[in-house]
Amino acid sequence: MPLDPIELTVFANLFASVAEEMGVTLGRAAYSPNIKERRDFSCAVFDAEGRMAAQAAHIPVHLGAMPHSVRVARERHSFGPGDLVIFNDPYLGGTHLPDVTMVSPVFTPIDGAEVLLGFLATRAHQSDIGGMTAGSMPVSTELYQEGLIIPPLKLLEAGRPNQSLLELIYRNVRTPRERAGDFAAQMAAHRTGEDRLREIAVRYGPAKVVEAFDAVMAYTEAATRMALRAVPAGTYEFEDRLDDDGVSDEPVVIRVAVTIADGELTADFTGSAPERLGSINAVLAVTQSATYYVVRCLTGDEVPVNDGCFRPVRVVAPEGSVLNPRPPRAVVAGNVETSQRVTDVLFGALAKALPGRIPAASYGTMSNLTIGGEDPYRGRPFAYYETIAGGMGAGPLADGLSAVHAHMTNTLNTPVEALEFTYPFRVAEYSIRPDSGGAGTHSGGDGVRRVYDFLCPGSVTLLTDRRRYPPFGLLGGAPGATGRNVIEQRGGDAETLPGKITRRVAAGDRLTIETPGGGGWGAA
Amino acid sequence: MALGVDIGGTFTDFVLVAGGVLSVHKVPTTPSDHAEAFLQGMADLGAAALQGPLVHGTTVATNTLLERKGARTALVTTKGFRDVLEIGRQARPSLYALEPTKPAPLVPAALRFEVDERIDYQGAVLRPLDPDSLSPLVAALKAAGVESVAVCLLFSFLTPDHERAVAAALQAAGLPVSASYLVLPEFREYERTSTTVVNAYVSPVMGRYLTHLEQRLPAEAGPLRIMQSNGGTITAAAAKAAAARTVLSGPAAGVVGAAYTAGLSGFRDLITFDMGGTSTDVSLVPGRLRETNESVIAGAPVRLPMLDIHTVGAGGGSIAWIDAGGALRAGPESAGADPGPACYGTGDHVTVTDAQLLLGRLHPDQFLGGRMRLDSARPARLLEALGSRIGLDLMRTARGVIRVANANMEKALRVISVERGADPRRYTLVAFGGAGPLHACDLAEALGIPRVVVPPHPGVLSALGMLAADVMKDYSRTVMWPLPEPLGEAFSRQLAAGFRDLAARGWQEMADEGVSRQRVQVLPALDMRYSGQSFELVVPFDDLSTSDLMGRFHAAHKERFGYSMPGEPVEIVNLRMKLLGAVQRPSLPREAPSGPDPTAALLGERTVWFNQPLPSPVYERERLHAGNVIVGPAIITQLDATTVVNPGWTGRVDPIGSLIVERSNG
Repeated sequence: MPLDPIELTVFANLFASVAEEMGVTLGRAAYSPNIKERRDFSCAVFDAEGRMAAQAAHIPVHLGAMPHSVRVARERHSFGPGDLVIFNDPYLGGTHLPDVTMVSPVFTPIDGAEVLLGFLATRAHQSDIGGMTAGSMPVSTELYQEGLIIPPLKLLEAGRPNQSLLELIYRNVRTPRERAGDFAAQMAAHRTGEDRLREIAVRYGPAKVVEAFDAVMAYTEAATRMALRAVPAGTYEFEDRLDDDGVSDEPVVIRVAVTIADGELTADFTGSAPERLGSINAVLAVTQSATYYVVRCLTGDEVPVNDGCFRPVRVVAPEGSVLNPRPPRAVVAGNVETSQRVTDVLFGALAKALPGRIPAASYGTMSNLTIGGEDPYRGRPFAYYETIAGGMGAGPLADGLSAVHAHMTNTLNTPVEALEFTYPFRVAEYSIRPDSGGAGTHSGGDGVRRVYDFLCPGSVTLLTDRRRYPPFGLLGGAPGATGRNVIEQRGGDAETLPGKITRRVAAGDRLTIETPGGGGWGAA
Repeated sequence: MALGVDIGGTFTDFVLVAGGVLSVHKVPTTPSDHAEAFLQGMADLGAAALQGPLVHGTTVATNTLLERKGARTALVTTKGFRDVLEIGRQARPSLYALEPTKPAPLVPAALRFEVDERIDYQGAVLRPLDPDSLSPLVAALKAAGVESVAVCLLFSFLTPDHERAVAAALQAAGLPVSASYLVLPEFREYERTSTTVVNAYVSPVMGRYLTHLEQRLPAEAGPLRIMQSNGGTITAAAAKAAAARTVLSGPAAGVVGAAYTAGLSGFRDLITFDMGGTSTDVSLVPGRLRETNESVIAGAPVRLPMLDIHTVGAGGGSIAWIDAGGALRAGPESAGADPGPACYGTGDHVTVTDAQLLLGRLHPDQFLGGRMRLDSARPARLLEALGSRIGLDLMRTARGVIRVANANMEKALRVISVERGADPRRYTLVAFGGAGPLHACDLAEALGIPRVVVPPHPGVLSALGMLAADVMKDYSRTVMWPLPEPLGEAFSRQLAAGFRDLAARGWQEMADEGVSRQRVQVLPALDMRYSGQSFELVVPFDDLSTSDLMGRFHAAHKERFGYSMPGEPVEIVNLRMKLLGAVQRPSLPREAPSGPDPTAALLGERTVWFNQPLPSPVYERERLHAGNVIVGPAIITQLDATTVVNPGWTGRVDPIGSLIVERSNG
């Protein structure tokens, strides 16, 4: 018997609270600021067939990527009670190496036997997973440089940890104790989720839970189809580009044809650039995530997130293209930079179908900054990573917000006072960059200006974009200002840096990052 | 003799305790001038010449923030950081909105000013403040017509000299100032700035209100005290300068009242459940009032210690609707007090209260003690229409509305229990507010809570809580000291000196509160973490003993987070100190238990829908006596609330008149 409209709401709440409670455990118990303070993690609940039933996401880029992880884990392993698989391989269910995923089964007793009820997955961005630069966000040309690659392996077998595997991982990362704390937190989240899901099965009966899994997914699917039916049928094309791949200056074209028909959406990225040497390649899971994110923005926040979000959506990205690369292409920036451009072209295409609903392009880059080196004041190595917000695109309703994260990320900044207590550099300015939003009937939000003074030698890695090609405006709105990275050596001239670079800095050097503004909407 | 006065959106509640007698009163709130209802109620109670304390819970600070009606406020920051308040933590509030919105910052860009100065993380002055820069600043602020100024400079909690100099210059020019080194001397510049700005923004409004109220109060009335968000009280004079400390005034008093009355009945581990018309406040009381300093009020972080109260926008007035996917929902839209639920006679939206009425849990003639007659036909028509759209009959739809509303409440209760690491099965649910006792048994069943307590006057529990609240002051300071190993004498002395500095301010302010030194209880604590973590753990430091401080931290970390890392460097982030001046709690009248038979209070019997319709006796709360036992299903009505005793549950009246409802047979 299908669930009635009352049980639907009750179970949607229950499943969501399992994922949220996992997230609370993970966020609370994590050691590193990256997870705890910036909240760069997600948790999800799956049914026994590996279909996602609920997700607590802080980071949209994880949205569509988690189901891949569970599928791959199930293909490679059989699961018994107490098992848990760990991996980060972007070509086997991952996104980029710092995102470490764990998958575990949930069993429940039925007539004395333990029966598989579903799966749980967690994903957390580890602040170092080895590789060529501290913080594991390098300007790389092959996957092997980006860190330790972990294929899906059993970290727990019937509850027993695989110590050899852990030792191997810890030996390959720069901050092993921090990893140990963060892994412990991730595993604790799995225990929370398992307890909760089993509790629900006891309270309602496993058969009811299985029915409810189906019902909430069908419900979300129906709501998603309804939202897509509200979009005029047709095929809408759009093209934009990334500035470069960090290796050559050649722009990276991202092209999409969005077809809307009968409550379904197909995003065909054929015509996008072939895979590149630099790390802006986005594995298919990332391309899909960005597409699901855009569809979800049409559906609205109210509808629960689950497999039903994905069913009416098809993503076509030719193998060997920058949006579906082959190993061992470098991918670390695909997750953070290319994913933003994928949302830009999707919204650009949809704006042709829905000119009264879709906002102009947002700042379109996470402006990833990693600073690392030896801290002479505290006598220890350090690696600091952050992403910097920008201006949101203006929309038909209002001006874009200034200095806020848009689309595929929503991580928090690190307080300047917290940062200076811990690292050998200072922030001399953190302000809103005036007039960087594109003009229009509604103007784009302004970007950010953040200025760093280095107190010791170190290395800086930038993975930034929209330094050449600005975020587009819509319906006559002006584009947002491009971003800028400038270094001033002590006593020297200011020098504009490329968008993607690793470079040595000396004490007394000053780095200024100006992030792009959002595009304007409507002729001013 | 003592009087508690709680001004809410609809009613102003009074609890008077005089000579062992407790009187309860309600007067409609007078939004144009809250003092009107305040004085009216006092007169009604014959308490105009009250000699004892007069404790007041006020929504002035909260409403000022929600309605953005505070003082025209300026902000002064370190050069380069004028936008800290607007950038915040750079996150958007909603992940999937096409055009997300954020509340506008309390200080617009034009009123954000910078001074050229800089202090580093060790408190050293990198760039001195030029005293000559202050008079142009004062002139600019005056020219901008500001009414209040917040000053928040980087690292001022380590070296407050610059901030103090700026504040002095502004004060000399007659501008009211909130300085961050006094409001919240803790690191994390955005949260400190926001807290300081909130204080600057609401304090002038609070000041005007309290001054007005004091002028209108009878000359003989006792000293006016104000309920704070931390569950304690301060003088009106102190509240005028520290209004940010009162943003949860009323809800905090409710938790204190719940803890106090349930404590009298012998229950200490509590989940408080205060369900009103538009919102529901829940809190965990694990044998003590539990605080957080991570509150966000009307979009603005306020990092002062407050009771950890979780609020959801769901209440009796929550509107039932069918969403796009065909699921039945309740809230967050509310019918409010006007037009109110459909059963009030004019509204066109059917609410949770309407569903309760149709299920027989409320009675049309017994609402508010019969003062208001409810209309059943109107909500029945509306609910039937709603149900027909999803193929459900009237009664299934009504039960559905309750189940869906309960699912929202259950989620809220899980947030403050399970997500805080507490097992609800070991707690007692204290239900109050107009709608709490209607839903309590259902929720207790859902969460496995074995017991529900409904205090004698669930509709005015906040006002009672004010009378049970201690005088309370909180102090803190960020120090960021690495914990040496071994600890050593020098460090112990440094720690003691740090606390002496906090205490110096504390003793003075407690004296201003009229609490003598012998009566002050001091509760020191340390915020600690592993070096490199970004989250602090509060470690009690009651005896000021540094013996095995490291070990105590590892143990606390293990207990809270499930692991510890012996050998890793540890640091002390903040020193904390709470000063308490215990008050004489009001003694509630007690009645010696008589027999279990409640028949004397029986009003009649009616059909009430649970999973099926069941004939259920209806009792009048005021006529029940200690020792009476009520076997569910049953309904207990009183002036300010209705209690549902579910089938399978049994209630008894205890000596102070609380209803203790427990699962039958264990």
